Amino acid sequence: MTGLLRPAAWLLLACALAALPLALGPYYTNVFVSFAIFAVFTASLNVLLSFTGLFSFGHAIFFGAGGYGTALALKHIPGLPLLPALLTGVLAAVVLALILCPVVARLSGTAFAMLHLAFAQVMYVIALKLRAVTGGEDGIGNFPIPPLTIPGVASLPMKDSPQNFYYFAIVVLGLSLWFMWHLTKTPFGQAQLAIRENAKRTAYLGYHVPQTKALAYVIAAAFAGVAGSIYGLFHNLVSADGALGAVVSFAPIINIMIGGIGSFFGAILGTAVFQLIEELVGRFTDKVELVMGLTFVAVILYAPGGVLGVVRALRQKWFAAPAENAAERRSA
Amino acid sequence: MKAALAGASLFAALFLIPAAYAQAPSKAGFEVKDMSDMSDFDPANTVVPTGDTIKIAVVASFSGPAALVGQVYWASISWVAHDVNKRGGILVDGKKKLIELIKADHQSKPDVTKKIVERMVLQEKVHILWGTDGSNLQKIINETANKYKVIAINTASLSDDLQDATNFSRYAFQSSMSADQLGRAHAYYYGQIRKKEKKFYILCQDYSFGHVLAEGFKKGMKEYYPDAQIVGEDYHKLFLTDFAPYLEKIKASGAEVVFTGDWIPDAANLLKQARQMGISLPFAHVFLDEPNFLHEVGVEGTKGLVQISQYGVEGAAFKTPEQIKYYKTWNDQWRNKWKTPPFNSRLFEHGAGNIGSYIQQTYWLLDVMARARSTDPEKIIQIWEGDSYRFINGKVLTMRPCDHKAVQDLHILEFVPPDQQKQSFNIPPYYWFQGTSAAGPVHTIPAKVVLPWMDPKLDRCKGKNPAG
Amino acid sequence: MDPVTAMYVAQGIHGLAYGMILFLIASGLNVIFGMMGVLNLAHAAFFMLSGYLGYQAVSLTGNFWAALLLAPIATALCGVLMERFLLGKVHAFGHLGELILTVGVAQIILAAVKGIWGTENLSLRMPPILEGQIALAGLNYPIYRLFIIGLALVVMAVMALLLYKTRLGKIVRAAVADAGMVNALGINVPLVFTLVFGVGIWMAGVAGVTIAPILTVFPGLADQVGNDAFLVVVTAGFGSLGGAFVVSIIFGLLSSYGIQFVSQFAPILVVAFTGLVLALRPHGLFGTREG
Repeated sequence: MTGLLRPAAWLLLACALAALPLALGPYYTNVFVSFAIFAVFTASLNVLLSFTGLFSFGHAIFFGAGGYGTALALKHIPGLPLLPALLTGVLAAVVLALILCPVVARLSGTAFAMLHLAFAQVMYVIALKLRAVTGGEDGIGNFPIPPLTIPGVASLPMKDSPQNFYYFAIVVLGLSLWFMWHLTKTPFGQAQLAIRENAKRTAYLGYHVPQTKALAYVIAAAFAGVAGSIYGLFHNLVSADGALGAVVSFAPIINIMIGGIGSFFGAILGTAVFQLIEELVGRFTDKVELVMGLTFVAVILYAPGGVLGVVRALRQKWFAAPAENAAERRSA
Repeated sequence: MKAALAGASLFAALFLIPAAYAQAPSKAGFEVKDMSDMSDFDPANTVVPTGDTIKIAVVASFSGPAALVGQVYWASISWVAHDVNKRGGILVDGKKKLIELIKADHQSKPDVTKKIVERMVLQEKVHILWGTDGSNLQKIINETANKYKVIAINTASLSDDLQDATNFSRYAFQSSMSADQLGRAHAYYYGQIRKKEKKFYILCQDYSFGHVLAEGFKKGMKEYYPDAQIVGEDYHKLFLTDFAPYLEKIKASGAEVVFTGDWIPDAANLLKQARQMGISLPFAHVFLDEPNFLHEVGVEGTKGLVQISQYGVEGAAFKTPEQIKYYKTWNDQWRNKWKTPPFNSRLFEHGAGNIGSYIQQTYWLLDVMARARSTDPEKIIQIWEGDSYRFINGKVLTMRPCDHKAVQDLHILEFVPPDQQKQSFNIPPYYWFQGTSAAGPVHTIPAKVVLPWMDPKLDRCKGKNPAG
Repeated sequence: MDPVTAMYVAQGIHGLAYGMILFLIASGLNVIFGMMGVLNLAHAAFFMLSGYLGYQAVSLTGNFWAALLLAPIATALCGVLMERFLLGKVHAFGHLGELILTVGVAQIILAAVKGIWGTENLSLRMPPILEGQIALAGLNYPIYRLFIIGLALVVMAVMALLLYKTRLGKIVRAAVADAGMVNALGINVPLVFTLVFGVGIWMAGVAGVTIAPILTVFPGLADQVGNDAFLVVVTAGFGSLGGAFVVSIIFGLLSSYGIQFVSQFAPILVVAFTGLVLALRPHGLFGTREG
């Protein structure tokens, strides 16, 4: 895109996002917030994947850490403002990542993936069992949600205003997405991609491979924590099933698959498509699990490149055809 | 002397008069004579009207592993809607409107619950949210109801904290029984009515319902059965596969009764595995009443079970011709017309128990709406608070105004072999089930000893009479 | 035996029995992942399917043993169908593909089970010969649980025999170690793998029918048992059947003695053990195979 077009596009996007709650009403605004939360969560898993080539089958642990961190902070620290609460959640996820780092740093693909699946299960059981802390099955609910205060400027109540919460969430989640996307452009990001392509060579060039892997891991965890924290604030409820269940770990995986692996934009697109499917399925049938199951199977069998893969394939078809025809005509 | 008189009259004014008033026979109740012809009702093929209707969202799990629950609720509430619609609907807002039921599948997930309830309120514009299994999900329903000022009726979640200071909403009504009072009811029965066994083992599910139920039982024991002993207390994880280690502890403890609030599948697995291990102890329970697994265990294994019920009636279950007619209307339909599983299974045979309760609770809701002549939540709240309703089986429920919980008698059902079930099932064929023990002797636990827990922190209830 | 000792001994046997239940379920998963490197998250769903098929068999024949024989085979056939027609196509995407596919299949199985047998709770009656208890030195122990222990041991022994004492077992072990070479020797490697997969699902099937009489057969059965079995496999390490056996027993004993002594925290013991093992040995206690 040329010089003026790009900022104009961003401006248009910003205006659309700002106007969204007014245009869509509270229900769809909330649907959008839900989408944004999972878009960030999925993008964080994508960061891990594209920077380290590693896939976690239990990314929910960081989502849950973020959610529980924020919920516990708000429940037990009276008068805690909104942003520090959010940061507490992120911090919880980061700390968890730092603790797990040495364990997972040198693992290969399979072990890494499966280990996280196991850790997610472990964390789920612990969250269920430590009822006194986590509320067990019921989770932590109805904790106070403070207004967003910009000292000296304004105080936006969050609790009963879907609109205000939307703006808050979109800013936080939007910044997160932008940051993750921008990461690929930085030298750090470039190094990560190099490591993914050929770790040995990158090491010879003087980059510390394990440390950079670890950094990517922590960043992925941090943003998963952001998503989890906003999720907790959005629902005013954090429970084991909602934040740590197997479904929570699978969601970003299936989103990435649907969107198209390896692409940042694919992660977001996949989230949108999957959310759409989920929205629609419930309205038309009781057989939710049948439709979802068939969807998963169909995607992996027939569209393993995801939506982007399909788009790419179609593009090839359309742009290759005329050339072929021309060649045929010439030879005839 | 004067002070004593004044004190006595104050006491009378504050406690006796309102208490008597709360138990006074109510004019509002279920009238069988008004019932429509239900011979075309089949829960598998319900007819849902459209247009300018009274919309009720039925929030439950309609898909996934717990789909049976949604089916049970749907059958219950559809029965009521079918009846009322055939009568022409209810006169509200100046027009006679039919009842339109809308399925809201929460898939047993908290975030789906929020989404679906919001959609019901904001897009479908429902007037009532009817729900649900799972107190954590009911909390989400109540919260949304409060936010958008829509009436929520809780017919099935038993947690006491739903109506506590943190979670209370004016728009939410709990017409179902609640955990704390169930525990106390059992204690009252064992200590004041039965007065036999003295050693009790508590084995409940490890989440809020299990804990509150157990606490209620322990509280009740202290008050009504101080001689008794709690010889053990355990909380097992939900959906437990192997109960053997707990059963071993129970065996060793010398317990005479096992108190539990487990529901399916834990309820079924607990009973089955206990009997398989040779433990023949009676269970004091809430949900060990699903006929299919009871038949599996058999008459001997289910003898002596003691259930606390929100749909019981002392002595004979059918005392009036109207009650017999009401029972037969459901039973004949089940027997002759319903061919689609699960509605043709034993679970739906009698339309009593919890199904009966859901049905009557729904009739109460619609009766309140009819008297309010409006779908306006404020008018409904005004009528419902303090309202009393008589169920078909004679039970009277009163909606406690300060925290919207139902004050009601509860009933203890003692399970006996089929030849003794005549005490309860007093019409041919004189048994509830041939293949399992079921209700025989039924005892009333009066409302005043099992008042639902009232949160002392709830401002609305400060200084109020817990009897309503 | 005095009552207290009897109780501790009984808890020990309970632990063994539960461990064997876990082993029956986990062993198939371990075989499939350990030998083929396939992540099969539909394993618990096949377990549940077998429970339903067993119920159906008992309904039709009235014979538990017929169910125990036929249902696992039928379930294994379903598994083989999945492997042949679906799994083969997703190998290119590695574990990610297997994850998504098998999760999808698990959902489909859940839908199928509800569609065919409904949403209700079903029961499988145990054969009369195994009902009741038996006296063991003053301790009354349920016969059926001893049967479960015995059956699991038999299955384990048969597997070990097949693997290490037969030519077929040799081929399987070789194919696992170096599929290319074995293929070059003219052996139909894909067929070998299909066989292994089928056997793994068969083991889940056996577990399903065996455990059904003490549990309720209902649509949530897969969720109920799946997680624990998975933890066994991960803790033991993929590829080690013996390791799965040992870890299953440890889980079972931790669980029963945990309930005996620290009741509230019993489930934490198991996951704490898992967490500890994974933190120190991420490939599992006995892990051999590397993705």
